[in-house]
Amino acid sequence: MEPKLSSDLLRGHTDTIVLAMLMNADRYGLEIYNRILDRTGGQYELKVDTLYSSYKRLEKGGYITSYWGDETHGARRKYYRITEKGRELYRQNLLNWEFTLKILNSLLKEEK
Amino acid sequence: MDTRKYIDSLFSDYEETSALTDFKEELRSFLDERINTLVKSGMDEKDAFVKVTNELGDMSAVADEISLKKKQEILAEMYMKTRHYMSTWRIALYILCGTVLGFGVIIAVLSGFLSDDINAPLGSLLIFGVIPILGFLFLGLTQETAVREAMGWKRALLYVLATGVFLFGVIIFIIVYFEDGAGLPYAIATLIPFILPSLAFGAFLILTEKDRSKPWVKKQHEEYMKRSQERFGDPAREERFGLISGALWIAAIAGFVLLTILFGLKFSWLSIVVALIGQMFIQAMFTKSK
Repeated sequence: MEPKLSSDLLRGHTDTIVLAMLMNADRYGLEIYNRILDRTGGQYELKVDTLYSSYKRLEKGGYITSYWGDETHGARRKYYRITEKGRELYRQNLLNWEFTLKILNSLLKEEK
Repeated sequence: MDTRKYIDSLFSDYEETSALTDFKEELRSFLDERINTLVKSGMDEKDAFVKVTNELGDMSAVADEISLKKKQEILAEMYMKTRHYMSTWRIALYILCGTVLGFGVIIAVLSGFLSDDINAPLGSLLIFGVIPILGFLFLGLTQETAVREAMGWKRALLYVLATGVFLFGVIIFIIVYFEDGAGLPYAIATLIPFILPSLAFGAFLILTEKDRSKPWVKKQHEEYMKRSQERFGDPAREERFGLISGALWIAAIAGFVLLTILFGLKFSWLSIVVALIGQMFIQAMFTKSK
């Protein structure tokens, strides 16, 4: 049997994924989108609205900020930067996920 | 196909706010760059466009968030700013009326000092006082504000007519009473041709007035009614609550006066305390139990 990616499960973690992408560098919308597609080997059908809803939500909550880049040629890009509040949320979410994963594993494997 | 046109059609139902314009530009740069990458990797431009727009999903969720936020800002702005509805010629007319009124008051006071004749200040008030007041009335009625729509100028003129006749009647009454030495009966007789018909006409106008509140004010009023209905059950109940409370306080004040006369302040203040306690009981009785 071939393993398949659960898109629903991934979608539930969009905010944390976006925050993770911003931990080391400011990135623009398409860059984050492409990185997610690359990492999931094209198995994840990520819709753009999911991603932008997440950007707007995070920005509203003060977890990220945005600014227009100063590209000299080509289209302008809007970059996102993580705030200290965002880093905290990321660490908390990661902790929650690792904890949940442990419990989920024990639950799923017990029933086997 | 042009991505700009595509995005414009996508958000055509939304108000063009600065936040939305900003977002549209961001989305456009996203789409353009993604299409370019696909074309560079060998995909047909048309296919790339279809693929990329299919990946968009439901953008209205994002747009809703942006435009909803903007709507609230507009509401707040509407509530705060009336100046927004003031055109330059209106401001000029308001100031003109104010200046004429000030002039009239000064002239009336001066002529009052300079001559013993009461007709002189009254006469100047008749011209320089009544006219700007009528001007203010007309401007005020035809003024659109944050909470209500403007009245039509024809109807506003009717109000001006009624008020003008009324004020004229007041001044005539004073003149007749003081000047002609005719005394009160004659002065009262002047009420018939001026003040009485203008009051009747004014009452007719006010009673046939329609609600000019802006839609958002009406909505807020409805919400208030709903909230008060949740508290009291139904409007009739709320009315009874008001009546009983009113009766209680009238009794309390009467009791206060009576007790003050009979026993002095030392005891009479207790009636207010009793009324307060009663009010709390009434409130408790009428508030709907959850």
